[in-house]
Amino acid sequence: MNRLHHLKTSKVHPGERRTLRYRGREVAGLEGDTVATALYAGGVRVFSRSLKYHRPRGLYSLDGESGNTLMAVDGVPNVSAEITPLRAGMRVEPQNVKGTPEFDVMGFMDGLSWAMPAGFYYRMFHKPAAIWPRVIPQLRRTAGLGTLKPDFEMPGRFEEVYLKTDVCVIGGGPAGMLAALAAADRGLRVILLESRPWLGGFFEYREHPYADGSSLHDRSADLERQLESRPNLRIMKHAPVVAVYPTLQVTAFQRGADSASFDERYPEIQAQSIVVATGCIERPLLFENNERPGVMQPSCAHRLARTWGILAGERAVFSVGNDLGIEAALDLANLGMGIACVTDVREDGQAPQLLDELSSRSIPFMRGWVPVKAHGCRSVKAVTLSPVNGIRQKKVECDLLAASAGLTPSTGALSLAGARFSYDSLTGFFLPSTLPDGVHAAGRLLGLQDARAIEISGTEAGLRAAGDCGMDVAETLRTLADEQSTLPGPVRNPKLVMGPVKGSKTFLCFDEDTTIKNVSQSMEMGFDVPELIKRFTAAGTGPSQGAVPGHNLALFVGQSHESPDTEPRPTTVRPPLHPIHLATYAGAGHGMSKCTPVHALQAAAGGRMEKVGVWSRARRFSDEKSAHDEILNVRQNVGILDGSTLGKFRIHGPDACKALQRVYVGDMSRIREGRIKYSAMCNEDGCLMDDGVVVKRGENDYFFTSSTARAGSTIEWIRYHTRYDGWDYHLVNLTDAFGVINVSGPNARKVLQKVTDFDLCNESFPFAAYREIEVGGSIPARAMRLGFVGELSYELHVPSSYMESAWMLVEEAGCEYGMKPFGLEAQNVLRMEKGHVIIGSESEQRTTLHDLGMGFLWHRNKPDARTVGAAALIHTEHQEDRLKLVGFKMQPPADRPPKDGSIIVDGVIRGYVCTARLSPALGEVVGMALVDEPLSGIGTEWSIYEDECQGKLLGAVVAPMPFYDPEGLRMKM
Amino acid sequence: MSLNITCPICGKRNGYEFRYGGEDRGPRPEEATLTPEAWCRYVHMNRSVAGVQREWWVHRDGCGLWFSIDRDTRINVQVMAPSTDGQEGDR
Amino acid sequence: MFGKRKRLWNTPSLQSSYDAVIVGGGLHGLATAYFLASRHGMTNVAIVEKRYIGFGGSGRNTAIVRANQRTQENLPLYKEALELWPVLTRELDFNLMFYNCGNLNLAHSEAALKAMRIQVASAQYHGIDIHLVDAEECKKLVPLLDISDRPRYPIAGGMFHPPGGIVRHDAVVWGLAKGASRLGVHIHQGTEVTGIEVRGGRIASVETDRGRIHTPRVLNAAGGYSADLSSRFLDLPLPISPLTIQAMVTQPLKPLLDHVISSGAYHVYANQTLKGEIATGAHMDPWPNYTTGTSARYIKHQAEAVTELMPCLKGLKFMRTWAGLADMTPDMAPIMDGNDPVEGYYMDCGWGYFGFKSCTVAGKYMAELMATGECPPILKPFSLRRFEQHRLMGETAALMEYSANN
Repeated sequence: MNRLHHLKTSKVHPGERRTLRYRGREVAGLEGDTVATALYAGGVRVFSRSLKYHRPRGLYSLDGESGNTLMAVDGVPNVSAEITPLRAGMRVEPQNVKGTPEFDVMGFMDGLSWAMPAGFYYRMFHKPAAIWPRVIPQLRRTAGLGTLKPDFEMPGRFEEVYLKTDVCVIGGGPAGMLAALAAADRGLRVILLESRPWLGGFFEYREHPYADGSSLHDRSADLERQLESRPNLRIMKHAPVVAVYPTLQVTAFQRGADSASFDERYPEIQAQSIVVATGCIERPLLFENNERPGVMQPSCAHRLARTWGILAGERAVFSVGNDLGIEAALDLANLGMGIACVTDVREDGQAPQLLDELSSRSIPFMRGWVPVKAHGCRSVKAVTLSPVNGIRQKKVECDLLAASAGLTPSTGALSLAGARFSYDSLTGFFLPSTLPDGVHAAGRLLGLQDARAIEISGTEAGLRAAGDCGMDVAETLRTLADEQSTLPGPVRNPKLVMGPVKGSKTFLCFDEDTTIKNVSQSMEMGFDVPELIKRFTAAGTGPSQGAVPGHNLALFVGQSHESPDTEPRPTTVRPPLHPIHLATYAGAGHGMSKCTPVHALQAAAGGRMEKVGVWSRARRFSDEKSAHDEILNVRQNVGILDGSTLGKFRIHGPDACKALQRVYVGDMSRIREGRIKYSAMCNEDGCLMDDGVVVKRGENDYFFTSSTARAGSTIEWIRYHTRYDGWDYHLVNLTDAFGVINVSGPNARKVLQKVTDFDLCNESFPFAAYREIEVGGSIPARAMRLGFVGELSYELHVPSSYMESAWMLVEEAGCEYGMKPFGLEAQNVLRMEKGHVIIGSESEQRTTLHDLGMGFLWHRNKPDARTVGAAALIHTEHQEDRLKLVGFKMQPPADRPPKDGSIIVDGVIRGYVCTARLSPALGEVVGMALVDEPLSGIGTEWSIYEDECQGKLLGAVVAPMPFYDPEGLRMKM
Repeated sequence: MSLNITCPICGKRNGYEFRYGGEDRGPRPEEATLTPEAWCRYVHMNRSVAGVQREWWVHRDGCGLWFSIDRDTRINVQVMAPSTDGQEGDR
Repeated sequence: MFGKRKRLWNTPSLQSSYDAVIVGGGLHGLATAYFLASRHGMTNVAIVEKRYIGFGGSGRNTAIVRANQRTQENLPLYKEALELWPVLTRELDFNLMFYNCGNLNLAHSEAALKAMRIQVASAQYHGIDIHLVDAEECKKLVPLLDISDRPRYPIAGGMFHPPGGIVRHDAVVWGLAKGASRLGVHIHQGTEVTGIEVRGGRIASVETDRGRIHTPRVLNAAGGYSADLSSRFLDLPLPISPLTIQAMVTQPLKPLLDHVISSGAYHVYANQTLKGEIATGAHMDPWPNYTTGTSARYIKHQAEAVTELMPCLKGLKFMRTWAGLADMTPDMAPIMDGNDPVEGYYMDCGWGYFGFKSCTVAGKYMAELMATGECPPILKPFSLRRFEQHRLMGETAALMEYSANN
């Protein structure tokens, strides 16, 4: 196709060819083309087949309002060709066709539409019942559009930006540009978002005269230059808005130019004020075959010529609803298109000079006429026209039917921001009736048509937004209001969206193949409001969502006597306003884990690192699943564990002890200096939340630990439970300030004594004591003697900055004893052999302290403390039939443990295995289980049911805990 | 569900910086005389008002303060002065 | 215009008295009405719905059904629920589009596998078809999965539950409405309850914006609004937090994902609907509110999560996101109860995000409770009193933050 050359408005570069491959053949486009314009110029007219009826679909719009041009591009399905810039070498394929878009084997479906009334699938295929399972695979294959391969890898660079701004302007047409200028000229930070790759909206492509005698195109270019000169104004072109949230948050996705650092990016913008100037799209006119290839919006035909140099037809019928449509017909006639006639839904109201021009060019003009049917199969061959009252008909041959019922405001962004709308009978628009604070509307979506009036409304909105940011704008607004009052206000639009047609092939929603007939059917069945019709007929739920059905569904239903809605109401708008790739939302991907100060040392020592909560931790130091050697080395020799993830806190101040009394079940007033107090925190239900140790380091000054999982919420927890008390204390989270080295095993003392001058013998540092020592002569360490793993054990809390040095010193000292690191799995078995619980492993949400056999930790004689969970501990202390934690062994003895999570049964489920292992130290299987209290007595025999056991149960017997070293002598060595 | 909350120390912030801490039910009751019914009312039962409720929040990703606010649960907006119609709010 | 079609449900005028008034025209209310009429002959029943039927959670859930719960109180209930879909399809003569494609639930750690084994062993013990699978088997079931160690939470295995799947939620709403209406139940849409009158400890009447209805029985099946209703009109607060839960769908595709897939670690589930869209969701905003607004934060999270598990989905586009209300209880189990503490007041609420998969069976047994006044044994563990009796259900093993009561 020969393009129109030398148009000032053109965006294509005739000298720069860009070739894509379409169905295996080369199609040459130009730099500046979209995929759709390149294909159109290359002669492609049928772009896709429709979802249900496989009707041929062509280029109808240019901003992605319908799914007509959804194609597969470079393996990415459902790409809207009309908004995708052409790049050389693209591979483009049609979707949802068997054969070619022109000759689709599935095309016969269109002839069966009578068999598919609204919601037919709810009333078919279920009788007899055996049919349905066979229908499902067919249905699935028929449904859907594009295809995606399981191993598909999305190409491209994706990023995200989080921006704060004073004013965010949505829409880069004239109103948006002036709003942005007005706010920027008050010194505010402004972001302007425009979905097209250029600014200017309805001005940009038109040679129509502007007020000062230049053209609208020139005016647009001049405004853009002004905007670009403002350093506090950030313009984001090619950035369709995805959503607006009532908190004045705006999200979008921006396509990167070739030079950009990204292909698509996700901006999330927090504004103080928002201006919505999203303008209008064309309102589809409803008639039979209103979506045939060759039927397009008048502005689509106009922009194809003006922006891309493409004349979409040789003999066109224009059927319009406003002056823009007439202007388009005239302009295209000037550019060489044959115009068979222009019909106008309106009986009157046309600008006289446009009518004069039509008659001077001898283009027939028919007032109050509309198309009732487009003829032709794969392209339009003719159109039948009729007056709106349907009394006459006239058939006109043409190869292009540019049809619309005028404009429809793009209210999506405003609606998401929280605006409410009411139907305005003058404009036929849903106009904002209430706008939330900080949200302003401007431009053509208010029904304005006069260029200057649109601009002033933009300036006004920009100033109001500046007012939201604290600027004094009252005076300027008054002046502007005076000027605006001299200009034409909102213009009248046709109410009619459909001519006198039957409607069985009149498509309200292209994407879902929803016809007027379907809508009528659903109303007869009781689906009488637009929201329900939408659900029942699927209108507006397709790939491009509500754009083509737009307000037409509400307007059509409003005109129908079947609906109780006398006042039309638009259906709910939901984000995304423009479909957005998951890749763009997902962005660069931020997998973050916290690492302890000795993470690198752990990994270097062969640690198998795993993400545990927020941390990366070593599960094992070899691939041996049971961690057998690590466990035995602790029991028989000495091991070293990185315990840095433990929560560590300081609480100090006059009321520090009261706060501890509130959250710990134990009595915190009785802690002796130099001793550690082990205690637990419960929730209000008396269930175990956390356990740890508390150390008193001075008057009203305590150091305490929490489990790893609770490190992030302990301060919040304590403050929450003391929030009414007004107590004076200070809490500091030291979790990241200290690393923890745990040295455990019979040789632990010998190892540690090599790195400290402090006398570690039992007399000077007994079990359950707390000492502040120095390691390597100068590294301060808070040392505790604990018994979690049941051996002689020291826990050194070392400032994080010294942690690596301290670890290496201890490691070196341990060399001669064969000290080895051990990981979480070894610790898990070691503590289990001692009967120590891990919260979440041996407890569930409803497990109380009593259920765990840890009721001894609860000090009941401190009611004044009003300890969290104490009331529940009182209520449940003697409650029967609860799940209790007990130890068990296999009966008869077995050489393997039951799998964790196996259940205990005796006709009903009585409990489950929490943790069970073949104990390396004991040489037999031991485990812990939560079991119904009547089955919890020592010596009670159980049957254990494993998954896939085929009814073969395992035997077990309740055994006393701890299994290992019940007297606890080893940790006191 | 987007929400902004004004922290008494840090000012207006995105709601996701905060954590909800339940309806304001007043100070902790004495535990010795607490019946299971009264305990349950204090701990578990919510009025779940569709309207303005007084409630606790903590500025988790901020200063860590616990504070109470009034919020209209129908529109998810913090209200500065409790009102019954719930339409006035500071977003 | 095309030959009149029959209405699916009628629009009778509001009577001044009914044998039972059901508040809420969602799935639970409709199902209870249907079973009252069809199984117990109680047809003088009104459903009172403020908006239109299926407006709330019934039309907003992602329609997943399964019977692989954790506790033996829940398992038989959900097992029966699963078996009811074909039965109701036949009875209602309406295709509910039960698509039993199977559910694959992923585990990302040894601890998660252990938690799953409790579920799998318990379900198998109850005769439910479910199995633990390893990562390779997961990949065979869902070739889209990335089972390498690249994801933040690598896939350790999962459990596969073949009889689960999806059902067309709207079809269930409309089918039950049709069935109930044919049997004489009155469905009053656009009717708001403004009060409930109790006299002498018994339900006496229900006040609506269209007039008073005398009735001895009221069922609170108001979903997200159930707690507000109970405390506002009966001064009976419930242990419920109404939370907003979000979901979204991608543009439609040819068959790609053959099973419902879910992951606790990523807070995500995804399935491909019969229309070809990938529906995904799961996130809740952890503060009570009655809006159904969505947020930038969660759609972004969802994209991250779903594409970590299934990287090819990066090439898809989200086209719609929405939200509904989940009436969460502290133990993530519902309240099905009646005549305590108010005679004639029945509750079927607190379903959280389990309300869809359970609606039919809950309707069946709530109808029995309302018609006979006797609580069926299967409902007994779900009493309201369990909270003060320290008898929480064990459905959720982990401590949940949803109730926000710390």
